Amino acid sequence: MFKAEQIYFEYTQTAEEDSAPANYVALNGVDAEIQKGEFVAVVGRNGSGKSTFAKHLNALLSPTSGTLWVNGAATSKEENIWQVRKSTGMVFQNPDNQIIASVVEEDVAFGPENLGVEPGEIRRRVDGSLAAVRMADFAKAAPHILSGGQKQRVAIAGVLAMRPDCIVFDEATAMLDPLGRSEVLETVAALNGEGITIILITHFMEEVVIANRVFVMNEGVIEMDGSPREIFGQSKKLRELGLDVPHMTALAHELADLGVPVSRGVLTVGEMLFELTAALKL
Amino acid sequence: MNIKLTIGQFYPGDSVIHALDARVKLAGTFFFIVSLFYADNFYGYLAAFILLSAVIVLSGVPPRLLLRGIRSILFIIVFAAVFNIFFNPGETVLLEWQFIRISYEGAITAARMVIRLALLITASSVMTLTTSPIQLTDALEYLLKPLKKIKVPTHEIAMMMTIALRFIPTLLEETDKIIKAQTARGADFVTGSIMKRAKNLIPLLVPLFVSAFRRADELAVAMDARCYRGDTGRTKMKVMKLRGRDAAAIIILAAYSVLLWLTKMA
Repeated sequence: MFKAEQIYFEYTQTAEEDSAPANYVALNGVDAEIQKGEFVAVVGRNGSGKSTFAKHLNALLSPTSGTLWVNGAATSKEENIWQVRKSTGMVFQNPDNQIIASVVEEDVAFGPENLGVEPGEIRRRVDGSLAAVRMADFAKAAPHILSGGQKQRVAIAGVLAMRPDCIVFDEATAMLDPLGRSEVLETVAALNGEGITIILITHFMEEVVIANRVFVMNEGVIEMDGSPREIFGQSKKLRELGLDVPHMTALAHELADLGVPVSRGVLTVGEMLFELTAALKL
Repeated sequence: MNIKLTIGQFYPGDSVIHALDARVKLAGTFFFIVSLFYADNFYGYLAAFILLSAVIVLSGVPPRLLLRGIRSILFIIVFAAVFNIFFNPGETVLLEWQFIRISYEGAITAARMVIRLALLITASSVMTLTTSPIQLTDALEYLLKPLKKIKVPTHEIAMMMTIALRFIPTLLEETDKIIKAQTARGADFVTGSIMKRAKNLIPLLVPLFVSAFRRADELAVAMDARCYRGDTGRTKMKVMKLRGRDAAAIIILAAYSVLLWLTKMA
């Protein structure tokens, strides 16, 4: 699905105020390969290049040097851009700033309309996508009356209606309350279950747990790559990179240090409960 | 400060008038307004009045909403009427007292003006009350299409209107938030002279503009990501189709214009 070979990216001017100084190297030789159907979480502290990497995946940015292939098409080539954007959808951080129309269903139709899909088919896709994110009841509603989580689900439906192979979530849960966040994550997991490749950029370690692969980015490179269990097993290295582990993993580490026989790879409350009952029975 | 979140003045309903094609309504309203300036006698206005009343009854829009529309331009109507009555140098003098002089012609022109303005405002109110802003935008895009040949960016105009409609409530909410934040820091938006109050609006407007530009930037990226490339190769989910009732509306308008022409000939 994706293959990145030594991609570098340099911000030549301060595009976003207060973040990047002139000629800031955001990506410093990223190599990665992601298969179709994978669920990859990308973590890293602010300025580690994770958002820049995400924007490369659907050709919003094109590498300064190196190549990124999406389904075999190089994103740096002008003629591939629309194909790439069609196959890789993107959901952004601010739910308000990615909804274009003042009626939910019109907004979901925006993507397929841009692709020149035939009207009857757009209708079917819109209804199908809204049902898939459980927002069908709000088809005629105005976006501004929806909650943050609902708006993000509408944004997801808008991407789904374009029939992508992959959806990139660029900190899509960062501005949501816990309820909205779990709504969105449930939807994300369900989509992955249907075979859509998911790239989840986040700084909430609890969200990483549901992924089957984790990239830890630091200073523009992928520093660690492995399953959540493998990654969180190395809590010391994560701390050096300015990251935390999920609460349950932190607890497991502390208990293990005290000599309680629990695995250091515990990720969720359920697993912890299982480990503890096993430990107490001994 | 109390900000009401109403966009446009759409009055949702499922009457025949609501169901009419927005293009027919828009063009029809325009035609009707032009006809008001073509008509010049009592029978002509009577025909216009009857047609408009029939449309209002069919639309099910409460008359008080229409009166509100008239009230908002009451000043202009009164001004136009007074101006015509007193300053029209007509031949047939009805009343002359000191410097006041009312002529028959002046009175007639004034009456005509009042009738025209009232009908005009009511007609356009009925149109905006029965057509959702989105339908209106789509209709406008369609009707302006011929202008594309002379390089008028009709699609872009319609897209701007769509986005503006989408962001009005969002920006209003934001304004409200900024007002509260600045009030909490001691800003005063409600007392003082007009000049002082205008000056006090700066700490409200600056953050609002900064945020609006940031939103615009993010929205542009999001539109890019969803393959937006202007008008090229674009389709629409909702295809506007003329139906029997639209044809009926056009026939009624045609009959009305013939009637109007007859009253003028007679």
